[in-house]
Amino acid sequence: MPEFKIQHITKYTYDGPVRDSANQIILYPIKDDYQEVIKHEIKISGDPSVDIHIDYYGNEVGDFTYIEPHSTLEITSRIWVNTKHRMYPMDDIFAEQQWEDLRQLHGQVAYIDFLRQEYFDGLDELQQIINKDKVANETPYQLAMRFCKYVYENFEYIKGVTTVETTLDEIWALKAGVCQDFAHILMEMLRLVNIPARYVSGYICSSKSHWRGEGATHAWAEAYLPGYGWLGLDPTNNIIANENHVRLAVGRNFSDCSPVKGVYKGAATHSLEVAVSVGNPGDSHTEDYDHEVHHETPPALKKLTQVPQNSYRLYLEMMQQQQQQQQ
Amino acid sequence: MHHSAYFSDYNPAPNTWDEMFGTDAQIRGHYEKVIEYLTRESIDELNKKEDLAKRLFMSQGITFTVYNSGEGIEKIFPFDIIPRIITGQEWAFVEKGIKQRLHVLNLFLKDVYSNQFIIKDGIVPADIIYSCPHFLREMHNVKVPYDVYVHIAGIDLIRDYDGTFYVLEDNLRTPSGVSYMLENREITKRLFPDLLPQCGVRSVTEYPNILYRNLLSLSPRQIPHPTIVLLSPGIYNSAYFEHTTLARLMGVELVEGRDLVVANHKVYMKTTTGLQQVDVIYRRVDDEFLDPLVFNPSSVLGVAGILGAYRKGNVAIVNAIGNGVADDKAIYTYVPDMIRYYLNEEPILKNVPTYQLGNPEEAEYVFGNLNKMVVKRTNGSGGYGMLMGHAATQQEMDDYKAEIIKNPRDFIAQPTISLSAAPCYMQGKLTPRRIDLRPYALCGPDGIEIVPGGLTRVALREGSLVVNSSQGGGSKDTWVLV
Repeated sequence: MPEFKIQHITKYTYDGPVRDSANQIILYPIKDDYQEVIKHEIKISGDPSVDIHIDYYGNEVGDFTYIEPHSTLEITSRIWVNTKHRMYPMDDIFAEQQWEDLRQLHGQVAYIDFLRQEYFDGLDELQQIINKDKVANETPYQLAMRFCKYVYENFEYIKGVTTVETTLDEIWALKAGVCQDFAHILMEMLRLVNIPARYVSGYICSSKSHWRGEGATHAWAEAYLPGYGWLGLDPTNNIIANENHVRLAVGRNFSDCSPVKGVYKGAATHSLEVAVSVGNPGDSHTEDYDHEVHHETPPALKKLTQVPQNSYRLYLEMMQQQQQQQQ
Repeated sequence: MHHSAYFSDYNPAPNTWDEMFGTDAQIRGHYEKVIEYLTRESIDELNKKEDLAKRLFMSQGITFTVYNSGEGIEKIFPFDIIPRIITGQEWAFVEKGIKQRLHVLNLFLKDVYSNQFIIKDGIVPADIIYSCPHFLREMHNVKVPYDVYVHIAGIDLIRDYDGTFYVLEDNLRTPSGVSYMLENREITKRLFPDLLPQCGVRSVTEYPNILYRNLLSLSPRQIPHPTIVLLSPGIYNSAYFEHTTLARLMGVELVEGRDLVVANHKVYMKTTTGLQQVDVIYRRVDDEFLDPLVFNPSSVLGVAGILGAYRKGNVAIVNAIGNGVADDKAIYTYVPDMIRYYLNEEPILKNVPTYQLGNPEEAEYVFGNLNKMVVKRTNGSGGYGMLMGHAATQQEMDDYKAEIIKNPRDFIAQPTISLSAAPCYMQGKLTPRRIDLRPYALCGPDGIEIVPGGLTRVALREGSLVVNSSQGGGSKDTWVLV
């Protein structure tokens, strides 16, 4: 029963004062049979009151505002969590029966969102790839594992080539991306063969091997298998997501689960740093997080060179300028 | 038989219900007094009245905005001086029918955002609801005051050849046009001051008072003077005139998104003396733009964090968020079934038969009969992007068909219904033109009230069946008799 201490810091730094900031955080670990939260604390600069509600997909979502002028916003989440290994699927039901069970899910509210195909131009090509490699009597579990491997082998893991706004078309053309892109492609494949698939955001934790996605928030997919339920598949590492994956939220796609997002008013640009560190209990945790820090200047928020040197107009500009920040 | 030159060119269209003439070419009883009055007036006198009406509209700035026209954005809404008259009996029927429908649509919204009994029982397919872009999962389990989602509805009615009323569409998001109902009446009072009391025309001027009273009753704070605001997208919106009018008539603040801010899950208005907490928002900003934190992040028309304040019950929003799932044109098809399901009653007002293009069999039928159909987008409004099969060229039909095939769920088709006709004053003559009717229903904690009247829109082009103001329509004052 692994035990992890995770520290996740999100820090926005603005090059001038901003105000009227409104933010949404989905940083609360899911509590279920395989994940026990021993302690969780969130600290936010300015100490705003955070209201937590349960969203449509059952995730805890917090929101807060920060209206006074400020030039940094820092969100620190400290999680102490116990995870349990979950048995892999027995997969002992006849393949045909399993596929039939999946067909029965069509039109059912619990799965409808996870079966809806997101349209992109590569869909036909993807369908052909799937058709070409058909294996007789393959179970949904076997097929899902094969798809996971396909994504792992055919897409290159390159940090920074994509952003949260990159479309499936772009990922498909690049054949590269980060964990969220890998997850999206895998979900598309699963939905094409009628296996409900959902997006998961969280952390990958390990003290032994080095995995992709450490030091940042991680993402993977879950496939719904008859007789088993949701099975986590991490196409970035080509493994089953189990006791080393700590789950924060599930949804249709990244935007249902984005860990931190917000909008603010002001003419300043922002840079974002995210640091995730994982330690085992007993470690003096606060100092040792490994600095895999991402600097990001979203392309939409280029430096405003024409900001007038006139306080009145600067103020007007600031009040009109509404910007978006997302991790 | 018609004792006046005004009628010399009046040719009722075949197979069309004429509001003024009966089948025997006799003037219907409820039009008699008005016609008597008109026949006593000279053409000069009527022309003067028409001219006065134009000048009044112009001087009072009663305008609407046409998108994509390439010309100036604001236009005068054309007004026809001859009122459209509805008998007390007809009105009683319409009123009862709308109340029934609106009651059910509110029940449906409550259900679809909580228990979803109607889906579980297979009355409305889950697919239709979950594929609707206006079905907002963010509204799931959000408690709205008194379970009222639709506080203001504009339900469009038309009359077929035999005078039967049909519901053409439900407008449950931010229905507009009520200011024209009010202004048209004010102008008619100036044009025909004696005629209104003589004919026994019921008043519509209560509308802003009822709306204000309903807004007041929604205040989450029990204080003597809650702050109520009307949130407008601003001067470029097609209904900006209406926003200013309603704010003025109700005596509430007219604000835009930049005037409001959310702090501690409460909404505040920025005033010269600091922040003032807002209790009730009558918003005319669409859901998509209302909260950039949750919906469209690039929207500057809304207020970031407002959904959070709403969810906590710290502010009331009118109409509720997420109503678009109930006035989606694909879901419209199921409203009669909803009435039977929730109330165990038969629908009073009929639906126009509607084909879902998302359903392959129905699509096949529609494609085979496209020249007899009106095809619409399920989430469109204002008459933009419609195909009127009877008037379309082969090329237009082919192009439209190609659009449909890309995303069939987004389209429905209805047989062309021939809208009733009413007399309009044109160049010294009375001429029949097609009309519809949009009454405005207000739903408050104590029930539904409908001021006797509404907006009658007119297709001013001869033979046209499209009454939308953006498509060359005008309007008339609507008289409901006692």
